[in-house]
Amino acid sequence: MNATLRVLRYIAPKLAQFIFVVLATYTVVFLLITFLPGDPLLAALASKSGGDTIVDPEALERLRQQYGLAGTPWEQYWHRLGMLVHGDLGISIATGQPVATMIARTLPNSVEIALIALVIAIVIAVLFTFLAFLAPVRWLRNLLLQIPPFGVAIPAFLTGLLLISFFSFTLGWLPSSGSRQPGSAILPAVTLALPVGAILFQVFSAAVLEAQASQHVFTAVAKGVPPWRIFTAHLLRNALLPTITVLGLTIGYLAAGTAVVETVFSRDGIGRMTVNAVLARDINVIQGIVLMIAAVYATVNLVVDLAYGVIDPRTRRSGRRPARTAQPADEPKEVTA
Amino acid sequence: MSGALLQVDGLRVDYSTRGRWKEVVHDISFEVPAGKVVALVGESGSGKSTVSQALIRRLPENGRITGGSIRFAGNDLVRLPERALRKIRGAQIGFVPQDPGSSLNPLMRVGEQIAETLRIHRRMPRAAAAARAVEILDEVGIPEPALRASQYPHELSGGLRQRALIGIAWACGPQFVIADEPTSALDVTVQRHVLDQLDELVQQHGTAVLLITHDLAVAADRADEIIVMYQGEIVERGATADVLNAPTHEYTRRLVAAAPGLREGRLVPQVQAGEESALFAAFRERVAAQAGSSAPSARAESILEVRGLGKTYGVRGGSFLAADDVSFAVPRGKTLSIVGESGSGKTTSARIAARLVQPDAGTILLDGEDITRATGESLRQLRRRMQVVYQNPFGSLDPRMTVERIVAEPLRSFRVGDRSSQRLLVRELLERVRLSSELADRRPGELSGGQRQRVAIARALAIGPELMILDEPVSALDVSVQEQILQLLVDLQAEFGLSYLFISHDLGVVRQISDRIVVMQKGRVVESGDAADVLGAPAHEYTRELIAAIPGSSAVSG
Amino acid sequence: MRLLRQPGFVISLLVLLLVAVAIVAPSLLSTHDPYLSVPKDRLLPPSAEYLFGTDNLGRDLYSRVVHGTALSIVSAALAVAVGVVVGGLVGLASGFLGGPVDFAIMRLVDVLVAIPGILLALIVVATLGFGPVSIGLGVGLGAAGSFARVMRSQVLRVRNEEYVEAARTLGARMPAVVFRHVLPNAARPVIAVAALELGTAILGVSALTFLGFGAPPPAPEWGALSAAGRDFIAAQPWLSIIPGLVILAVVLAVNRVARAIGGER
Repeated sequence: MNATLRVLRYIAPKLAQFIFVVLATYTVVFLLITFLPGDPLLAALASKSGGDTIVDPEALERLRQQYGLAGTPWEQYWHRLGMLVHGDLGISIATGQPVATMIARTLPNSVEIALIALVIAIVIAVLFTFLAFLAPVRWLRNLLLQIPPFGVAIPAFLTGLLLISFFSFTLGWLPSSGSRQPGSAILPAVTLALPVGAILFQVFSAAVLEAQASQHVFTAVAKGVPPWRIFTAHLLRNALLPTITVLGLTIGYLAAGTAVVETVFSRDGIGRMTVNAVLARDINVIQGIVLMIAAVYATVNLVVDLAYGVIDPRTRRSGRRPARTAQPADEPKEVTA
Repeated sequence: MSGALLQVDGLRVDYSTRGRWKEVVHDISFEVPAGKVVALVGESGSGKSTVSQALIRRLPENGRITGGSIRFAGNDLVRLPERALRKIRGAQIGFVPQDPGSSLNPLMRVGEQIAETLRIHRRMPRAAAAARAVEILDEVGIPEPALRASQYPHELSGGLRQRALIGIAWACGPQFVIADEPTSALDVTVQRHVLDQLDELVQQHGTAVLLITHDLAVAADRADEIIVMYQGEIVERGATADVLNAPTHEYTRRLVAAAPGLREGRLVPQVQAGEESALFAAFRERVAAQAGSSAPSARAESILEVRGLGKTYGVRGGSFLAADDVSFAVPRGKTLSIVGESGSGKTTSARIAARLVQPDAGTILLDGEDITRATGESLRQLRRRMQVVYQNPFGSLDPRMTVERIVAEPLRSFRVGDRSSQRLLVRELLERVRLSSELADRRPGELSGGQRQRVAIARALAIGPELMILDEPVSALDVSVQEQILQLLVDLQAEFGLSYLFISHDLGVVRQISDRIVVMQKGRVVESGDAADVLGAPAHEYTRELIAAIPGSSAVSG
Repeated sequence: MRLLRQPGFVISLLVLLLVAVAIVAPSLLSTHDPYLSVPKDRLLPPSAEYLFGTDNLGRDLYSRVVHGTALSIVSAALAVAVGVVVGGLVGLASGFLGGPVDFAIMRLVDVLVAIPGILLALIVVATLGFGPVSIGLGVGLGAAGSFARVMRSQVLRVRNEEYVEAARTLGARMPAVVFRHVLPNAARPVIAVAALELGTAILGVSALTFLGFGAPPPAPEWGALSAAGRDFIAAQPWLSIIPGLVILAVVLAVNRVARAIGGER
């Protein structure tokens, strides 16, 4: 009974934070759209009909009602919030379909490549770190450590274009576009995986190298623990901590990356939908997508926090992640060399 | 030659910084006889820790052994292949690392960290190893061993963690244990108990121990032989009594003279006669004038008096009583020291007295004037009379400012003189604290710990205060440097009529500088009085324990 | 300086020098008029005359890239400026004021960070209209969140340093403490982050122009150039790949110099 209470006490603030982030995102986006100059409905209509806007005020009002843009900002805010609680994200101005349906239809495509990309990225990160860690030769390790800056600096569309040019046109192995063919997810996933993998590698390898030089690994070596066990029992979990913190960031990368990747590979997906929505100034769709992504991000962070609680016993009681070099308060002196 | 368990011959170690290799251990040779405790004594930069790491051939990334041999149990550890060395580490040579705060894996239970080494070297099955681990925790004096074995390191205090590390080192019954500064990070009473535990294990198992320490007094208490290292070389070696009573090398003599545990009695000011510029004379006059600003009859007897201080901190899950009804008075021109271990409340009380922290209860009187509620500009003006010197020479100086700007800062804040007169005064002050005025244009990063602390003292002195509150000012310094700073403080006190409120956990330091001593424990004052009385005839149990825990006391008393 | 002996650093400096010239005086570097179409020279591969080849209207790609430098880099610089100023001020206020104000501000920053940078930029672009300025503002807003966090953590770190407290006991008044001690010590790491952010901003800006939210054609923004070349990827891959490589080179150079700033000074 005590244990469940403690777990609940640990989770409760995190859940509250989750709900807060989603609500706050909704509010911030709403404020941004409301207070940035320009009337969203007129802009969207102008974009749809290529310049001929409907002047009739009654018709305009009806449209406002239809798209949930009627009334004062205050009224709009609560009205939309009420809809949100019911899972209704409004109607798309450009296509006339419910936003929620649009998202539900295109989301699986994006999730497919995002998940594959994440797996590839993790594999790259762990593999390269393992090589760098075990590399007895220093120049190999230095060489491997040069790769992440490269992976982070390369524009996603360049990777995509290079891959298409090489694998689709030169070699003819993989399809360059579309979402239905069997291999169509591979190139987009690899494109997405590159920057994510680079960051994960950077963080994970830095964490491993730092753990390797740490005091407690020295103690383990002095005990005569063999290298394999040092890696698994003394390095891995300790290095995982900063790495999973970065995981939340990578979701952001993946979400943003789909916009470019899906455009380059002409795939149906959330990213492409967002791009089209912006081109059409379709506010409702944009809001819906942003909310959804914020919800996903908050969920991932929640999972990460819970994982922290599982991996690091120091966080269990305090409910907060410890600073890098946590030292309790009862050490009176600095240690001289 | 035989009977030596460990024989080091001509060992050389290099370190590389920024691509260049430099030798840091120069051709040292020594022996550790079976069943004896040998202390390796040295200060920072001596190379003693490097030697300890080289013995088990685990130097950091940028270190390497470049020559010599380490003979142990018929093998040369320098040339032994890694696999064979792994069998020796932990099983035949145990290692007690320093810094219990970071030497244990924070994500692994304490019992498991002991059981691990049993499973590897003794091939014990899981259950048996776990059970034996609990026994070992008991053997090293940890209460409730079964509970502690299931806990994580952060749930144990520093002393318990150090004992666990000792347990790990002795788990497989090694013939030889290297203990690298095993107690430096601990309170002095805890240190004593842990070292006692070490002694006991040595007695029981007949283990040979190489005890690395910077504290000659600890070596004096616990070791059969002492080896002194200085800048990568061995400068002295011999039986403990010989080294202490008849040191042959200059450096050893300095160490012996400087060790607080080995000295008794107060330091005597060595006032230096010398020329003094007009500027400095003016400065001195100003200080004297400030001190005598109120009429002698109106002047309070104590420059600083606190009555009934109380301070409670709110912590997760409750509150923490940092100070409880604390009262003391600093006599004019004299030193009152507050001594206590961590959690005693000495730092809190000092910070309250310095008006850095607001007390929940009590009054603070500076020269008879109630300053408890002073804020804003009036508090700022008080700073002219009351200055603070901090413990950490690395943190109390702004790393981006030159020494001159640092020392001149109080002059700037209070607009004393113009730029050129300030600059001159700074240079004089630097010389008074025995720093070459060339250092005025350097930054703190380029100075040693001792030099930085002198800068901090010069800075505190610049505005000519009457009272200086010194919070552990020498704790982070090497022993030989400590002495110099303490002597400097004593000299300055005589020269300028300064009063000191001195905080320290080290009674050995405190007894060299104090006129009055206040002993604190768990937020309360347990004893206070003249230094001679408190040290010579302590009334409280805790005071007696503190005095007994000063390392070197057995060597001194005989 | 030892830095000058490292080839990577020297090359990066040279690249940045070229970029600077391309921004300020592009005609010094370009070989043709970037807007002049020469129909008979359509879709030519890279050669001595047309260094990067020509596009489908016969325009010299190299010259277009050169003239597009200003658009792309200045937009990214605007983004960093917005991020540093807005984020820096917010972080400074939050770290210094502490308490409930700090808490509230940081929750808002949490939200800002929760929305991926590009999406935030897209929202801004969708409402303000397309073009390099909107893109710069949008990307900057996206970066402001992380700048706020960095600045705040630096302010908190420095605030707790002993030399700041020491300054108070030495009689310094609060403004003096802030300007003499807190800002100089807190600013340096933030500047290092800003330098790194420039590379990220260049990538963000070019991604947005690639997607079509930049200035209208024939503006030779790098991302837009790459997008325009997409239709010809099968037979004339250089049209879309070379602008991307240029971006890569510049970002690598910027990051290399930024790391030097962070590590050295």
